[in-house]
Amino acid sequence: MPVRLLALIPVAVAISLALSAAVEAVALPLFLDTTGTILATALAGPSVGVAVGVLTSAVNTLRNPTFWPFVVIQIIVALYAGLAARAGLFRGLRTAVPAGLGLGVIASLTSTPISYFLFGCTTTGGIALTTALGRALGLPPLGACFFGSFVSDFGDKAVTFALVTSVLHALPRRTAARFPLALRAIGAA
Amino acid sequence: MRTRHPFTLLTLAAALPTLAWLLPAPAGALGTAAVAFGLATAAGVRRVLVPAVVTAAPFWLFLFVLHDLPTTLAIGLRITTMVAGFVWLAAVLAPDRLVEAMVARGWSVTVAYVFAATLSAVPLFRARARRIVEAQRCRGLSPRGSVAKRLRALRALALPLLLSALHEVDERALALETRGLRSGARRTPLAPPPDPALERAARWALLLVCIAALVGRLV
Repeated sequence: MPVRLLALIPVAVAISLALSAAVEAVALPLFLDTTGTILATALAGPSVGVAVGVLTSAVNTLRNPTFWPFVVIQIIVALYAGLAARAGLFRGLRTAVPAGLGLGVIASLTSTPISYFLFGCTTTGGIALTTALGRALGLPPLGACFFGSFVSDFGDKAVTFALVTSVLHALPRRTAARFPLALRAIGAA
Repeated sequence: MRTRHPFTLLTLAAALPTLAWLLPAPAGALGTAAVAFGLATAAGVRRVLVPAVVTAAPFWLFLFVLHDLPTTLAIGLRITTMVAGFVWLAAVLAPDRLVEAMVARGWSVTVAYVFAATLSAVPLFRARARRIVEAQRCRGLSPRGSVAKRLRALRALALPLLLSALHEVDERALALETRGLRSGARRTPLAPPPDPALERAARWALLLVCIAALVGRLV
């Protein structure tokens, strides 16, 4: 692996974990914990993205151990973002936001069984509360759990894709050209 | 426990939640939770045990809201084992000792670099993110109002962090190249942690116990 891509991995993991400060400042119900994974994939391909995703989960686990089983989601996010980058879906918000919404559906479908069978849908306060809301609306336990995951993932992944698209377009072309997939991801190659 | 080999600490922290999920509930998870709390108490009541209890408490609350008592007990004890085990691990595992152990075991220096650089980069970037939030507030950025307004504020807060981070990749790559770091390179560890035969045997024993518990669960 080239040294530049090696240097990208810890920086991308730190981005995913540091963005919580910005999210807290605007008080929106978002995680943005896959930003580094998606950005690294769009710049350097899915193998780097998978490494970033696994490391992000590992570091997050030291803060909240229930994050570790969700490493599968980080891997799926990296693979999906790799396909999106190869298809040039980061060329603008009109293509990136629907791609992010699609990822939100896939992520919530994948995370629901993990959250339900391992943790009884109590992984974070927000998901537990929306799951309780789903139960109050008369949904069955698994359905309520999916409702909780869907509410948290759907908007989060769309915002993350939009954010990564903004970053890729704000990068100087010379800097972007140093990464193997960046120009293709924004439809410039 | 700090003086134990890092692989022993990692094996113990991984084995506890594995056994909590594999052994019959609630007795099995009660046993693993007791061991995890014992380790946390030995590592320091205020520094490890109290944070573990504070981290695990919300899960119990939500489980009581969402499930019946037997399910709450079964899942709650498993999550408590996991939380206490990892809070204990974070307190007793020194990253530099882990990197030395990995290098001594023949792992590529690039893997060791990625691991150590990540652990040191996270607090650095968190501090930078907080500085950017404060700087943008000083410039009059309001993070309140409608969702659209908050999303615009989020972009103004996140973009400088992401762009500065990507520019830093070049500096880090240059620093690594000048130090001759390349994929597959091996280094000699400066002070590898001792790995007594007893600890190696304990790690294998823990692995065998986990396999036996898995077989017992499946049969």
